[in-house]
Amino acid sequence: MSARALDGSRLLKWYPSRWRDRYGEELMALMEDVLDGRPPSRRLRLSMAWAGLRERGRETGLLGNMAPAAERARAGSLLVLCAWSAFVVAGSSFAKITEHFGQAVPARAQALSNGSFDTVYVVAIIGGLLVLSGACAAVPAFLRFLRAGGWPSIRGHVLRAAVSTVAATVAMAGLVGLAHTLSPAQRNGGLVYHPVVWYYLLAIIPTALLVALALALWTVAAVAVTRRLVLARPVLFAEAVLAVALSVAMFVITAATAVWWGAIASSAPWFLGAQSGSAASAFTPNLVGTMALMSVACAVATCGVVRVARSWRDLRLG
Amino acid sequence: MAPDRNGLRRPNDPPVLILTSLAEGPKHGHALAKDIEDFAGVVLGPGALYGAITRLEERGLIEPLGAEDRRRPYRITAAGSAALAEAVRDMRRIADVGTSRLGLIAGRLA
Repeated sequence: MSARALDGSRLLKWYPSRWRDRYGEELMALMEDVLDGRPPSRRLRLSMAWAGLRERGRETGLLGNMAPAAERARAGSLLVLCAWSAFVVAGSSFAKITEHFGQAVPARAQALSNGSFDTVYVVAIIGGLLVLSGACAAVPAFLRFLRAGGWPSIRGHVLRAAVSTVAATVAMAGLVGLAHTLSPAQRNGGLVYHPVVWYYLLAIIPTALLVALALALWTVAAVAVTRRLVLARPVLFAEAVLAVALSVAMFVITAATAVWWGAIASSAPWFLGAQSGSAASAFTPNLVGTMALMSVACAVATCGVVRVARSWRDLRLG
Repeated sequence: MAPDRNGLRRPNDPPVLILTSLAEGPKHGHALAKDIEDFAGVVLGPGALYGAITRLEERGLIEPLGAEDRRRPYRITAAGSAALAEAVRDMRRIADVGTSRLGLIAGRLA
């Protein structure tokens, strides 16, 4: 295979396999005609990547109206699930940021900060239960899928997620073990004078990335499995309702987080400063990043809900 | 076709351009792209061209013929001809109104 052909096949990787099987050869021939021996430009690579991703979106039911309404509704629900996974990462960051905040806030200002924190906590549990309910609703279809010999098609996804989970668990255990040798102040980045504190701080980011990777891979596995299931209309409807409820939960949590932030920034800004190891400031990088991730997740979930609503209307009319 | 210097766009919808090209006769991807560039001045990249071909085939507006050395020609179907005729009628209606009103403006200015 020539270097050019190799490059062309790499460009085709952006497209879904079914599309490649149907149009791949002729698209490769077209690219060879267009390029006439020249290497593909960056603009061409980008346009191919964009076009390939759009085809993937269409095939999964996320884009366009060619996929059946049931597939589009399912894709919308799965988009909300992906948004929730990102939200869990943001929520974990929020949980770390808020450690021991009650001790830093003056008694007169505790009502608002405690109330908003409790709201985040309770709604996060409700969100987790909603996801669990969605998974339970799909269990009968999943068992039918396994009995029909579907395991080989999802084995790779599940094994990758399982291996990443083991790696994340080992890293977490090491981090927790290290944390127990430190004082609360050292754990939060203060009094950095001992090598162990540096090891701990350096280990936090890779461990967090491993946990996020495990979560992402389980989400990918869940999406891969759910796309292959034959779901009855009542189950699809239940998943759609749960997706909408989950999106509402995400908005409530984001709003409560913003309220907590405002309450702490006005009553105990030194607490936020201590979290980032910098001077007292309401805009600490970790809190800004957490809120940004929550906002992005809410936006993605909204796209999913809109997709579900439009598809469901077509499904009823159909 | 890129926006002109005033930011106005002319009809450059890839499906319409592809149907217009195929109305002349079957063509494969490269011939389509060259023909469209010739008659409309629009350069359709491979990704955009095949995205539109995929949609048109899904809707039954074009159909593939036998592949010739990896290059597969497409031809317009009866449904595609009807869709193109409707699109052309719509464009002509707008063009006629625009021409007529521009004529009125020219008359007032004179």
